Amino acid sequence: MKEFSIDVPVEPPTELKPLFVPIPAEYVEDAYKSDEFIVLVGPQHPGSGHMRIIVKVHGDIIVDAIPDPGYVHRSMEKIAENRLYIQNIPLFERPSIMDNANFNLGYIRAIEESLNIEVPERAKYLRTIMAELCRIGTHLYDAAILAVFIGHTTGFMYPFAVREIICECLVRMTGARFTSSFIIPGGVRRDVDKKVLDFVRKATFEIERRLKNFEKIFIKNPATIARLREVGVLSKEEAIKYGVVGPFLRASGVEYDVRKIESYEAYDDLDWEIVVADEGDGYARFLVRVNEINQSLNIIRQAIAKIPEGDVISQDLFEGVDSSTKNPKDIRGAFYDVFANLTLPLGETTTLTEAARGLLLYTIVSDGESNVPYRVRIVTPGWLYLRGFMESLKGERLADLQAIYGSFGYFPPEADR
Amino acid sequence: MLDAIFEMFKGNMVYIPLIQPIVNALMKIPIVNYIVALILWKPFFAVAILPGLGGIMIVLLLMVYWERKLTARVQWRVGPLEVCRPLRGLIQPLADGLRYFFQEVIVHVEAHRPYYVQLPILTFIPVLLPILFIPAGEIVAVRSQYAIQIIVALIALIPITIIAIGWASNNRFAYIGTVREAMMYFAYEIPFVIAVLAMILMYGSGDPYVIVEKQTVPGIVMNPIAFLVFFIATLMATSRLPFEIPEADQEIAFGPFVEYSGILFGIVMTLAYEKLYIMCLLMTILFFGGWSGFAIPLLGDLTPAIWLFVKAVVIMLIIALSRSIYPRFRLDQALRLGWTSMLGISLFSLAIAVVKVWWLG
Repeated sequence: MKEFSIDVPVEPPTELKPLFVPIPAEYVEDAYKSDEFIVLVGPQHPGSGHMRIIVKVHGDIIVDAIPDPGYVHRSMEKIAENRLYIQNIPLFERPSIMDNANFNLGYIRAIEESLNIEVPERAKYLRTIMAELCRIGTHLYDAAILAVFIGHTTGFMYPFAVREIICECLVRMTGARFTSSFIIPGGVRRDVDKKVLDFVRKATFEIERRLKNFEKIFIKNPATIARLREVGVLSKEEAIKYGVVGPFLRASGVEYDVRKIESYEAYDDLDWEIVVADEGDGYARFLVRVNEINQSLNIIRQAIAKIPEGDVISQDLFEGVDSSTKNPKDIRGAFYDVFANLTLPLGETTTLTEAARGLLLYTIVSDGESNVPYRVRIVTPGWLYLRGFMESLKGERLADLQAIYGSFGYFPPEADR
Repeated sequence: MLDAIFEMFKGNMVYIPLIQPIVNALMKIPIVNYIVALILWKPFFAVAILPGLGGIMIVLLLMVYWERKLTARVQWRVGPLEVCRPLRGLIQPLADGLRYFFQEVIVHVEAHRPYYVQLPILTFIPVLLPILFIPAGEIVAVRSQYAIQIIVALIALIPITIIAIGWASNNRFAYIGTVREAMMYFAYEIPFVIAVLAMILMYGSGDPYVIVEKQTVPGIVMNPIAFLVFFIATLMATSRLPFEIPEADQEIAFGPFVEYSGILFGIVMTLAYEKLYIMCLLMTILFFGGWSGFAIPLLGDLTPAIWLFVKAVVIMLIIALSRSIYPRFRLDQALRLGWTSMLGISLFSLAIAVVKVWWLG
């Protein structure tokens, strides 16, 4: 198509100067000298979340996208250095509150690995069930955000309604809708009785039934498919090069899942598959997560069927604790005796966890004598796939920005930590 | 002079048996009789009461409530409820309107001040002009045998005011929205005109009276393809989902209207509903038999107007459902749809009309 340039003298807008935009002044001037245009999407934009994306557009096509994250940075790593190990559990649930069990699990596993604690089987199964419930919740949340980003309000409401069921399950299991801090070093806080597990099993079927409605109105909607297909494509090579993780890596055809490769908790005993797609476009990224919901429901049902009887808190922890408060099925009463002076041996421990949005890394460095960590490093999936997200924007239309954003399920609080 | 005008008003008044005793009583009071005669003068009644301004007000209040309530029902929610609980939140739009009235109107520094403030009010001109030519039985402002063509031409003026609004806002998102509005206008206008042309060809006239008379079976049965094109064009023209492209709030934050606040936003927000109302009136005349319906003796001259209004409102209520079913298309997809499929089927509808008129009589 032939292009016609119109020679209109355009001044770079003044608003780009006083804002602390992380781009050089020449970048703006260069854009305005050529027939390009800079649009600041966010941080108050209805389709940007808590971040700013500096988009350089040529006509309607995005030429360059520069992320400006950090609006919800809470300095978690630094806060963690001044708190007891046990006090850090509620803190490290916060990056992604829907996905609290997975975030909790990574941290707890690092402590357990360092202390060399063997977790009872029943606790492992309970942790698996919780992690998968949170995974479904996060995927539903992301699906809802994707729907509202491309203008489908019904697709926004349905997953949130379905997520209420998951919240109810978590309430009955742990006592809180989310951020329950239920997983502790050595097991879980309390045993969960059979009645509740039966409820969770029934709930999985109800979730499946309601997801069929969602599928009819949103997933298989021709307009949705038109918006997401062949949009924001990341090929297999690109996805690996830019370090994309989790379902978004699997959507590009890479079969990588920490739960299979470095299995933890009860995932090895259960029968499930890694969901993979080949297209690498927005719709594939969405479908992978939808299919993962089905896999997770399957995992939960199997785990409830297979869950063994027994303790939920490791006996290793109770050494030197008054015998009257010892209860291997409930930590209440012994909590401060056990955890207040928890000290990790000298050294560094790293764990990998498959959180809902992808690979989650925790590193705990301990000096061996104090009861607070010397350093905690947390690398969240959002931060890892931000690069791939920005690369996939290039060459797409400005209207696709929100569709790609939603297809990645980018969650600024999680990435900023 | 005044008497001559009064006589003109009196000679052409809407006759409603239900309120006739009251009218007769009021006509005996000196100054009031002038006002009553003016209000009930048929051309004035058509523009100011029904199907004109009064109809628009009812539609705005009803439509906003219905749209929210219906969407809520589809989405497993309750919707507006707290404002006047006994009426299930029926006066919620009124409360919203009041809120707009008492909100501060912010005019930002970079706006072109005179146009920015004037244009939302000026948009009522192209919205109300087509109503002059929309007849409801005997109640009509301007009677013309080219009424349908004139209405279509006047509807085409509405996007221009939106483009002017976006330009006066002087904002990047408003600018993008303005360009999108202009693009969408090109996407739907030609198929829309061809579909109307097919119907005019079928009825052999652009006179609404002839059109309504000839619809022994409704136009939708005579040429369903033309109706399909007209329906999609209505969705596009009034930026309903799936074609809510110029105002996409997640993408460009309400596009041309991004800078407006307070009552000015209240006015520009209603623009799409007003346009929808006019296009539904046109749709009723062309495809659903216009104002024909069984006579209600008590309402007299008002019966056709009521029928026209009710039919248009029912169509609007059905169109409201599209919002809870579809996500938004992208601009290039909508343009492709407009210039390929819609243009194709609109030409097909024209062919149907030609075949029916020339070969089948």
